[in-house]
Amino acid sequence: MTKTHKAIKVENVAKGKADWHLYTDYCKGCGLCIVKCPKKCLNWSKEVGIYQTPAVEPNPEECIGCGTCELVCPDNAIRVEKK
Amino acid sequence: MIEMLEKGPRLAKAQNAEVGASKFCPGCGHGMILKTLAQTIDELELNDKAVFGCDIGCSLLSWNYMNVDTVQTHHGRTTPVIYGVTRANPDLVGIAYMGDGGGLAIGSQHLVNAAVRSENLLIIVANNTNYGMTGGQMSPTTMPGQKTETTPYGRDCDVTGRPAKGAEMVASIADPEKSFVARASVSNLRKLKATFKKALKNVDMGGFSFVEVLSVCPLNWRTNNVQTWDRLKTMEEFFEVKDFVQREGLE
Repeated sequence: MTKTHKAIKVENVAKGKADWHLYTDYCKGCGLCIVKCPKKCLNWSKEVGIYQTPAVEPNPEECIGCGTCELVCPDNAIRVEKK
Repeated sequence: MIEMLEKGPRLAKAQNAEVGASKFCPGCGHGMILKTLAQTIDELELNDKAVFGCDIGCSLLSWNYMNVDTVQTHHGRTTPVIYGVTRANPDLVGIAYMGDGGGLAIGSQHLVNAAVRSENLLIIVANNTNYGMTGGQMSPTTMPGQKTETTPYGRDCDVTGRPAKGAEMVASIADPEKSFVARASVSNLRKLKATFKKALKNVDMGGFSFVEVLSVCPLNWRTNNVQTWDRLKTMEEFFEVKDFVQREGLE
């Protein structure tokens, strides 16, 4: 059986050039990515992370898929996949 | 909306994929430092050669973080244990990982003697200006005026002395022909990776490397996400971020 991961998936950010994923079993809700985002488009989500604190979610219209949030996340919770 | 995905998070090969979320607090700087270290080990293809040693304190929680051979010791003794390993087997690349308490207070004699003798290992000191695991007491690197559990009115330098500057101290005693000494910060992880790359290359060449990394501790600083990055900025003004000693021929 293949292992599956719980995730928030935001498709087609950056004008359809990338997909944005956040693994809720990894996100601890520290919010460091929100400050580092160059477009300030990350916001608290309605979904919760591993410690039952809010996870984050980008605004798909403003996100440019740069991957800064993935770089800075201390817990590897974010994956930005460029198409 | 929560979905179930088959593809997991993007982890480096040198990171242990089986443990799931790390044991650190939310927003801990250790996660960023270790993630960058694991990526650097991957890029230099040192996965089979690296030996990772973690110290007591919050850095001990990294005992199952890396997918390389790991050993855990107490109170700064990581330094002698790891250079014992590299003396016995010079082909290995030893990495001693510790916090500012382990490296600059209780284990400082090991750090000084390893630097004087140019032992073959990389020492990483994560400096978050307090003792994180025991509840945020004053450490040697606590900044002037900083409030901690044991300095509730701010650190008074007349009573407790000035903050220890580890990288400057090691740079003044390290052999310039064999050493790489630098201070980096988690505010710029690309630069941190470049620093780790130089340090690990130097260790692979048989030299001594010391990297002090300015880190964050949101729980004991009692800061939110914005204040955490602001505090790190004031730390970077106090502790100079640069390469202090770099041997010739190191890129």
